[in-house]
Amino acid sequence: MNAPFFKFGLFGDEASLIVAFIIGIGFGFFLERAGFGSGRKLAAQFYFTDMTVFKVMFTAIVTAMLGLFWLSVLGVVDLSLVYVSQTYLAPQIVGGLILGVGFVIGGYCPGTSCVSAATGRYDAMIYILGIIAGVFVFGEAYPLLKDFYSSGAMGKVTLPELFGVSYGLVVFLVVLMAVGGFVGAEWVEKKLAAKVKGVQQ
Amino acid sequence: MKAIKLSLNQKLAVIVMVLGLLAVFAGNPYRGNTATLNVKELALLVDKETDHISVDDLADWIIKGRADYRLVDVRSEKEFAEYHIPTAENIPVASLFEGALMRNEKIILYSEGGIHAAQAWFLLKAQQYKSAYILRDGLDEWKNRILFPSIAENASADEKLAFEKRKSVSAFFGGSPRTGTADAKSTPQLAMPKLEMPAASAAAGGAPKKKKKEGC
Repeated sequence: MNAPFFKFGLFGDEASLIVAFIIGIGFGFFLERAGFGSGRKLAAQFYFTDMTVFKVMFTAIVTAMLGLFWLSVLGVVDLSLVYVSQTYLAPQIVGGLILGVGFVIGGYCPGTSCVSAATGRYDAMIYILGIIAGVFVFGEAYPLLKDFYSSGAMGKVTLPELFGVSYGLVVFLVVLMAVGGFVGAEWVEKKLAAKVKGVQQ
Repeated sequence: MKAIKLSLNQKLAVIVMVLGLLAVFAGNPYRGNTATLNVKELALLVDKETDHISVDDLADWIIKGRADYRLVDVRSEKEFAEYHIPTAENIPVASLFEGALMRNEKIILYSEGGIHAAQAWFLLKAQQYKSAYILRDGLDEWKNRILFPSIAENASADEKLAFEKRKSVSAFFGGSPRTGTADAKSTPQLAMPKLEMPAASAAAGGAPKKKKKEGC
């Protein structure tokens, strides 16, 4: 997370842990302030009654994307040092679905469950126990899952490389998607709020 | 003229749209293959020879099992397959920037004599690889001093003592010390040791890399 400064050798291993700790505290703090410590609020996203999660995530994506793009164009950041995880298409789709189902049922994702547990919510603590149990089961079942787990390796791919278009164009399209998404989200919220009101009356 | 009133959200949306639109014309954010060099700084490095590692030091590190550096063989795949220094990985010069090496790693380069290693060193330095080193005199020196060490006939007691130590190092790497009266130059074909120590080859795909996990 603290790349590219770490890889540049601006600070060593120990200092990097401290930096990670500070960033982690900040990350948790803002998740809590955004209301992500509440399983109700998070679950409401999946019923489209509260689009906060969508808005916060897309804001983060767009801010980080524009920031990285422009800072690297201006020569401040070396983008080749930023870690890009490898793509394993089918395993990642399955993994994403499992995480999504857990998210809807439990009302948390791994990060927000820690935030919520830190503020003393019991459901989040139970959720973390569930994560640990899941990690344990996966670890024990790994020999059976190994082949699928590492299937379809595509290496490090980015959208511009995959589609053969310029980075700037992808940036612009994601911005359009975000702004369109925001407008849509507000519309859905209003619509559903009216409906909920109508039911109540 | 009627002023248009925008909420904070709308203002932010406009800023984002403008930055996004300009991005289309801003070009590639990745730094390409061009580089700027500080020639004076590099010249000083070359002059002081702080960028060299001796074969003795390297042999010592391999025996001790040190793992805080990467030994890179910049020769061709074929030459690498014939013989390479144990623990080395094969990255031909043309493949240096394909992502196998990190800028914060200690990298020791070697080639047959040292020319290719030195050229690779310059390329790495130009791309801001902080700690790149060259194995002094390359594989030739490795053969002369580590694998097949020799000793002069009229060697002093001290030299003989040092040679005894070399013999054991040579044995570790599967070499054969040259003793006796035979002139080193006239020794018939020295058999290269078999490659017994495991060695990863980056160019040939190498071992599958472990997935790194990152979550939300």
